[in-house]
Amino acid sequence: MGKAKIGVYWAASCGGCDCSLLEVNEQILDVAAAADILLWPCATDVKYADLESYKNGEIDIVLFNGAIRTAENREIAKLIRTKTKALVAFGSCAHTGGVIGLANLATRDEIFTTVYGEQRDGWPQVSASQNGYDLHLPEFLETLTPLAEVVEVDYVVPGCPPPREIVSQLFSALVAGELPPMGTVFASQKNLCEECPREREQEKITRILRPHQQEPDPEKCLLDQGFVCMGPATRGGCGAVCPAANMPCTGCAGPTESITDQGAAMLNTLASLVGTGEEGEDQLDAEDAILAQLDDIIGTFYRFGLATSLLRGRYHEQNRTAR
Amino acid sequence: MSDRTGPFEPKIVAFLCRWCSYAGADLAGVSRMEYPPNVVPMRVNCSGRVDVEMVLAAIEKGADGVLIGGCHPGDCHYVSGNYKTRRRVALIKRALSEIGIDPRRVHLEWISASEGHKFQQTITQFTQRIRDLGPSPVPAAAGAKVGGNG
Repeated sequence: MGKAKIGVYWAASCGGCDCSLLEVNEQILDVAAAADILLWPCATDVKYADLESYKNGEIDIVLFNGAIRTAENREIAKLIRTKTKALVAFGSCAHTGGVIGLANLATRDEIFTTVYGEQRDGWPQVSASQNGYDLHLPEFLETLTPLAEVVEVDYVVPGCPPPREIVSQLFSALVAGELPPMGTVFASQKNLCEECPREREQEKITRILRPHQQEPDPEKCLLDQGFVCMGPATRGGCGAVCPAANMPCTGCAGPTESITDQGAAMLNTLASLVGTGEEGEDQLDAEDAILAQLDDIIGTFYRFGLATSLLRGRYHEQNRTAR
Repeated sequence: MSDRTGPFEPKIVAFLCRWCSYAGADLAGVSRMEYPPNVVPMRVNCSGRVDVEMVLAAIEKGADGVLIGGCHPGDCHYVSGNYKTRRRVALIKRALSEIGIDPRRVHLEWISASEGHKFQQTITQFTQRIRDLGPSPVPAAAGAKVGGNG
């Protein structure tokens, strides 16, 4: 077998995923030795024309990071799909929409008004003519979607950004020419709590804290202490790096296999844990007071998964004044 | 759910606990009490079985309203399932508000097995409330493709 042909692409992303590829340190040299890089906008000078010139299925595997936010993202995703045998949704944005999926809480018009101001006068323009040249910008789409809504995805590497161990696992498989069966998610099949080193004592949550309000005890379960840790509803595989660094899990790896809606699963968990002790009618007000300490439900429970959650984004009731 | 043509008829999903509210619905039935036909009852073993995902999935699939019926405080067959549901519903309502869905589309009511009349009243009033609110802002086909697992 000749050298593997690989590609990396970024759509609507922050660039962190590209950096995470280098977190494997010298292993990247093995990859460079074992593979030809046919596409990597961040690191090579390959143009879209080069991508178009490749034969269908010529590239063996493309790591696609970033979500689909513009018409360009969508078009290139479709083009890459035809040019590659295996397509990897790499990182939270490609996988579940990511943090930027929270933009689906606003309409495109609202986003433009925030960026360009109330008097935006037709901005942003998607085409303009100047000095005899026609200029075009890709359309900013109405909503943000993950990669799998535009094209078929073969593998998932979750995380924001994907943790080093997982990237390393993927590269090892790539260098050995032994990719796992299509559909594999490069992470644990269990939730984060399974690999979290903290001690869980099944305590009731009697108050809800945010990380800036108090430094967590480094040994005890964060949920026990009242911090909203997304671990129970989140796929493991990262080695619980955030809880190990004394920060609650924010859920970047997405839901476990058995869950559809990560935020809903965590809301269930939290609702079950909140309480002052024995449940009873006399405790209802106290329970409500604890729940009232929760701030920003969507931003907390759907921080990475809003774009792939059951309800996906914001809606607009027609009849707001109904009784 | 079917297309919305003609005058608006609310589609309501009701999750009813088998020990209390579903029995209350049965009592309303055998007592020949009349109430609007807009509710699709789903029997669950306990209101505590109703998880957040079930309520959101009902809305995503086109329900205009979701009713959850459970045992009165202190009466839960499983001791505390109804308290858990009560807390869940509080969080569901807040999540719905944040994404622009009127939280009044989800309602929790305690209905015992002897309260056929309360069942009738609850259905009547909730159907009227949803009728006033109008169709759900969620297009019925919104989440045809679901999942975050790639």
